[in-house]
Amino acid sequence: MTSTLVRKAVGVTSLVLVAATVVMGLFVTPPDVVQGNLARLLYVHPPVAWVAYLAYGVTSIASGLYLWRPTRSLKWDRIAVASAEVGVVFTGLTLVTGSIWGRPAWGVWWTWDARLTTTAILFVLYLGYLALRRIPLSPAVRAKRSAVAALIAFIDVPIVHESVVWWRTLHQGATVATLGANTKVHGIMAWTLLLGFIAFTMVYIWMAMLRYRVETMTAELEETQLEAWEAERLAESATGDEAIGRLLDQGPEVQADQGAVRR
Amino acid sequence: MLDESRIGDLLDGGPKPVVPKHKRRLRVWLPILIIAAALGFLIAKGLGNSLVYFRTVDEALAMKATLGTTTFRLEGVVKPHTVTTNSTGGVDFQLLGQDGRTIAIVDTANPPELFQPNLPVVLVGHFQGNHFLSDQIMVKHSANYIAAHPNRVATVNGKKL
Repeated sequence: MTSTLVRKAVGVTSLVLVAATVVMGLFVTPPDVVQGNLARLLYVHPPVAWVAYLAYGVTSIASGLYLWRPTRSLKWDRIAVASAEVGVVFTGLTLVTGSIWGRPAWGVWWTWDARLTTTAILFVLYLGYLALRRIPLSPAVRAKRSAVAALIAFIDVPIVHESVVWWRTLHQGATVATLGANTKVHGIMAWTLLLGFIAFTMVYIWMAMLRYRVETMTAELEETQLEAWEAERLAESATGDEAIGRLLDQGPEVQADQGAVRR
Repeated sequence: MLDESRIGDLLDGGPKPVVPKHKRRLRVWLPILIIAAALGFLIAKGLGNSLVYFRTVDEALAMKATLGTTTFRLEGVVKPHTVTTNSTGGVDFQLLGQDGRTIAIVDTANPPELFQPNLPVVLVGHFQGNHFLSDQIMVKHSANYIAAHPNRVATVNGKKL
């Protein structure tokens, strides 16, 4: 009951914040001196990319906690997959919004620079993680293998983030990480960017909570159905034992009858 | 001993038509194989293109003899007051390097919306004599976001801040 209320509160808050970001981004903030109205994608593209990093970070921590024996619990596995699924959605959004921004700004939908390529690799790595989870295995084995895969896939996250520093790219350098250094974002644009980060982070929390609930319910359902199935088998077995018992009790008469029928 | 396929039936809400084992395996492994192939493709493309995504004006001038007519990406800043439209619908301009040296550019494609003097660009093309023949211009914008009219920022109700 409490958790349902929390989920609803998070959901409503995230929707309000996204709506506020839209209003601020489209109607309040000014156009950029170079990019004009294209710069309004600033309030969506970096926040969704950040959420993807955050989601994979949570997946990695949960996976690590599953692999560490003192904290091993399938609860961590469920958190890991819930977060990874949301992360894949947001990585997809990052690629799409980046492409929409790139076409008018750069002149191309896609180019093989390091930032774009490593982001695409990140997307495919976590799709692989989700595909790996579909292999029919016992929950414990699946959780262990998935946790290892999640930790390996996470190596790409810092590579994506640092790609604009380590290699020459068409993609711009980091804006948020270098705020206060040589990078400038006009006051209200910076505040709207911050609002976008908070709004999409709330959306992530909401989606991950919902997805976690679905995972928990699925696990509970599986357990209930397995118990029902075991009870059914035990009942069948008991009925079978009774029938065998009756046959043994009736023994020679029944066998004689059957012999008569056969004859 | 629990029969896994029976458990699967129960979990999925009852018995279903029996799917041959090799088809079941294919359903599981095919997406993984496709993803592995996609990953291999991306890494190969990344290694081929991303490591040296472009050469600067200074590097290109230093390597001009080696580069010959090979197609590569060239990066520099559009020198102000040098941009003119040519007969192909593209633009001619001087591309400025960090040490002040320039390369004459002949572009045969329409430049993107953001193309303008003083902005860094990445061109795809090759050397042809004394100029660089480009068939694609990509604009490399900075990480700065500055209001076009900082003194006329409107709020929702239309008032100035």
